[in-house]
Amino acid sequence: MTQHFFIPAAVLAGLMMAGCSAPSAPSASAAKGPGAALVTTDPKPVAGRRLITEEQYLNTIAHMFGPDIEVVAQFAPMQRTDGLLGVGAAQAGVPAGQMVKFQRAARQVAAQVVSNGNVTLRIPSRQDALIPCKPADAAKADDACARLFLGNTARLLYRRPVPEGRLNQFVAEAAKAATLSHNFYTGLAMVLEGMLLSPEVLFITDRTEPDPERPGQQRLDPYSYASRLSLLLWNAYPDDRVLKAAESGELSTAKGRKRIVEMMLDSPRLEEGMRAFFDDMLAFDSFASLSKDPAAYPGETGLTLTAAREQTLRTIYYLLVTKNLDYRDLFTTRTMLMSPILGTVYGVPTAPGWQPYTFPADSPRVGLLTQVSFLAVNAHPARSSATRRGKALRELLLCQHVPLPPPNVDFSALEDPNSAAKTARDRLTVHRKNPVCAGCHRITDPIGLALENFDGAGQYRAAEKGVEIDTSGALDGQNFRDAAGLAQALHDHPSLPSCLVRRAYGYGVGAPLKDGDTELVNQFTKQFAASGYHLRDLLQTIALSPAFLQVTPQETPKPATPKEANAQTQSRAE
Amino acid sequence: MTRTSKLVLRTLTAGAVLAAAATSAPSSTRAADAIPQLRNGSIGYIITNLHWAGYKTPDAKAECPDGKVNPWGPREQFKVMYPDDGKRTVMDTHFAFEISSWYPDAETPDRFPFYEAKGKYSTGLNLDGKVGPNDFTSPDGEPGIDNQLFRTIGCVENYRPPEGTTTFYADKAIMEERYNRMLIELTGVDSLENDNDVTVTMYRGLDELVADATGERYVSGTTMRVDARWGKKFVQTFKGKIVGGALITEPVAFGQIPWSSFSLPTVQKFHDMRFQLRLRPDSAVGYIGGYVDVETWYWQTMKSESTHHQSNGQTTLNSLYKVLRKNADAYPDPATGRNTAISGSLEAKFVQAFIVHPPTDNKVASAQVTAAPSQERRER
Repeated sequence: MTQHFFIPAAVLAGLMMAGCSAPSAPSASAAKGPGAALVTTDPKPVAGRRLITEEQYLNTIAHMFGPDIEVVAQFAPMQRTDGLLGVGAAQAGVPAGQMVKFQRAARQVAAQVVSNGNVTLRIPSRQDALIPCKPADAAKADDACARLFLGNTARLLYRRPVPEGRLNQFVAEAAKAATLSHNFYTGLAMVLEGMLLSPEVLFITDRTEPDPERPGQQRLDPYSYASRLSLLLWNAYPDDRVLKAAESGELSTAKGRKRIVEMMLDSPRLEEGMRAFFDDMLAFDSFASLSKDPAAYPGETGLTLTAAREQTLRTIYYLLVTKNLDYRDLFTTRTMLMSPILGTVYGVPTAPGWQPYTFPADSPRVGLLTQVSFLAVNAHPARSSATRRGKALRELLLCQHVPLPPPNVDFSALEDPNSAAKTARDRLTVHRKNPVCAGCHRITDPIGLALENFDGAGQYRAAEKGVEIDTSGALDGQNFRDAAGLAQALHDHPSLPSCLVRRAYGYGVGAPLKDGDTELVNQFTKQFAASGYHLRDLLQTIALSPAFLQVTPQETPKPATPKEANAQTQSRAE
Repeated sequence: MTRTSKLVLRTLTAGAVLAAAATSAPSSTRAADAIPQLRNGSIGYIITNLHWAGYKTPDAKAECPDGKVNPWGPREQFKVMYPDDGKRTVMDTHFAFEISSWYPDAETPDRFPFYEAKGKYSTGLNLDGKVGPNDFTSPDGEPGIDNQLFRTIGCVENYRPPEGTTTFYADKAIMEERYNRMLIELTGVDSLENDNDVTVTMYRGLDELVADATGERYVSGTTMRVDARWGKKFVQTFKGKIVGGALITEPVAFGQIPWSSFSLPTVQKFHDMRFQLRLRPDSAVGYIGGYVDVETWYWQTMKSESTHHQSNGQTTLNSLYKVLRKNADAYPDPATGRNTAISGSLEAKFVQAFIVHPPTDNKVASAQVTAAPSQERRER
């Protein structure tokens, strides 16, 4: 029988109120009402705050309660900022519609964690595995058992120790719900649901403490540092080991930080972290709405596109982490991970599963730019797009800015089916005669045209409409003849590594880079070069850098007054 | 027509393969220049469609002058054979009728008429290299087409698409089932246009077909693993040549292909089995022909199709068996002198696939996932 939870309205309302309270606004006046007990009392200043992403939420739940917890959650997309959705999270709020989604997700998680299973409905029992004790009577409250489960859970979700008084209030809320519902587990589920709705769980708050090495200035407290580290490297909240390092003071020492960072870099969870980072950096969120015209590209199915995204993420991890390849070689290597479904697009035999595949030296497939993901996502549904590909290369990989097209662009020359122009180069040449368009197309098209041997689905073609394709071009003064030449020009471009540095640092601190960060990026880039452009070294450099830990004077805020905090929360909600 | 003692490998002049290639364009899903097909003198194909060959016009008047639909299906025969006298039992009627099809009788004359195909034309192959009185002419004018199986089933609704469902279920079985995954691999190929010495090896495959984005065709270029364990009995080798883009193999004395219908794995057995296929880099279309073993054919139909399906397509097995036996035209039983096989062909469509052999196989080289340079140069 399915287990349903009838949460008393008054109790739930209290928890929801807690969810709407400002995390940085400790005040006596806020501590009123049924749910007020859950409002934080942490007095540390707040340097920044960002909303948890859907992927981080799911990863965290999976690592706390198991990967088989099913959460159907479609959180609102972030605004891409400074090239990253992860940075946009720093400016995201929680409107009412989003709160409903959080609540739906929280309810799903809580119900599954305390589930006692149902053989008929094939619902597994999880309570014996996830709840470390059994109540004396499952129909009644059991404070000791509730305290054990809720204490462990709250510590991981809130990412810091839970004060005794606060834990007492969790236990009391669980007991109240258990008594009303005559079910111990319902009580636990209700409090767990409330925790998952808490702003302290949904927002990653950077709290600070005085920096002993820079008197008068602030640095992240060890718990905020632990969260920042874990989100950068694992794309999830810190686990017990990292929290213990924060609690023991190990993260407050350079030696301790080094040990933990190395442990995290060695962890298999690094793959989740790097997949999330590169997925963000390459703007692969576009895959969510990507489709190809079946009439134009019958071989490109939804399965193929899903596999294409997966291929690039797997290849990046395989080459940059497993093989510790020079980051720049990602764009010139002939090796990529291959799956059977993708073999049909690349026209090569494959082995079951995902296996490395190396194209021969004379193959037109060279590096990430010639992978189906980059080619297909930066193209139109039924044709390629030299402009989109060129723009993506500049913006995503070189951190350059390509202006948006003016609103009154005349696309007729491009879209005229009766045009005498056979190839994309011919069509774009006509387009570039318009001086309004020429400025931007001059910086995108010579790059994108080098990839015209690959159609809008990423399939190889030697000719377009019977005309052999001219793939020559130039990238910032470096001339080339084809995609391999473009790959080499990109490999040698000084902005390629510095862009990765910029993105990785911004992703790690969860905030847009400021003008003053330019020198910092330069320093990181020099260290990155000195290390041989190895990703692991870059991550370690960033994670252990003073900048990653410290809070610069201009961003050190004073604790918000309750009134300010409420106004701030209201503003975000709007 | 009886089987001649010596079968002749004919050069393809106006062959049905060319006609089939012209009238049934291969379901290419990608431009040929995008597919690296011929690797180290080898190219593989996987079956996507397999139907018994025959000539079918929309109104059926040309091939079925007695009528498009045989009126004596199972329901109609049952009604006549077992009139409702109020005393009959299920055992005496339904069971008796059902059981009789499990013990078919070719000797007793049928009390019901059976419409056979009587027209001039049929698709298929000239199996004996001769033109006989019972032979058909192909739609493009090639005489001597041996297809007595079409004569037998050509006016049975089940075998006449779109009303007859056999074609639909045959396609469905190839799409959804695994046992019938037939692969052919051509080796020693210098050119897909002309090569006077190639080897064709047939295998059973392990992997699924991949439908394209339209859902109506299959993607070429998939990787198919050979079933070297349970598929050993299907490994058969044919010698042949390629003439003007058409593959023509010499017949082998006996061959069998994996078959499946309604999830029932079985085989089809051929004497003098051979291929004639129009080859393209991404597909192949044509015929698999020979003298079909009558008993195997009948029991495949018997076991896999319920009376429900037989009734909907006017297939009365008792009657069909008698006609099958009557029209059988080859391989007489030494004891009885009665023919045991019937001339017929399967219309076959394939898409190109990379065939991967298990590591223990001597052909492990073709299983390497590292690309062959020749192939990549071709792509370039």
